[in-house]
Amino acid sequence: MILGRVVGTVWATRKDRRLSRSKLLLVRPYFYYNPSHEAEQLVAVDCVDAGVGDDVVVCIGAPARWSLGGVNYPVDAAVLGVVDRCQLSREAFGHRRHGDTAAARPLSFIGGEQPRRLEWIGRAAGAER
Amino acid sequence: MIRGTVVGQVWATRKSRGLAGHRLLLIAAGGDRVVVGVDTLDARVGQEVLVSWGSGARNVLKAGPHNRDLLCDAAVSLVVDGRTGTGGDRGGD
Repeated sequence: MILGRVVGTVWATRKDRRLSRSKLLLVRPYFYYNPSHEAEQLVAVDCVDAGVGDDVVVCIGAPARWSLGGVNYPVDAAVLGVVDRCQLSREAFGHRRHGDTAAARPLSFIGGEQPRRLEWIGRAAGAER
Repeated sequence: MIRGTVVGQVWATRKSRGLAGHRLLLIAAGGDRVVVGVDTLDARVGQEVLVSWGSGARNVLKAGPHNRDLLCDAAVSLVVDGRTGTGGDRGGD
């Protein structure tokens, strides 16, 4: 699953019959989630009545398809939860330094935008006190 | 499965039926990747875990052929106690 923010909705009159009752949301991920990740936004079917501006968790791929209708269902992403709050370890984020290897480099948000209702826990790496 | 490190947690009161009662963790999975995984093993921030990925993940929550309605593509299947070999600090494939 991935964490993202709902940035819009998509509607269409001409679409697959099986999607006639589905609400489609435009979701912008906060993090990269696979090595070939390039899309800035993805479209997901709404299962929990999420709205624009909500932070959501999105299930991707075959499980979304199976859950909504079966192996032939024309869906590959579904919103499964609306996020109330989230916590992140400060240690894993922090400032990037020149020469960090890919494995040790601190994490960052795509576009620098952070989830709402975010709490930081722990102390930043390198903060000696 | 992918190896990763727990870096946070997400709370969602409104969520898909089958996931009620389970925690959702934010897991760094190598490079810049961060994914959300369902946790049944009470993993803590900073711990190294293995995450089942894709269609196999729902078997962690509920085994058997009647789990196809579960909306879950990542689940913590193992909390690592120790390992040998070198690799990224935060995991990877």
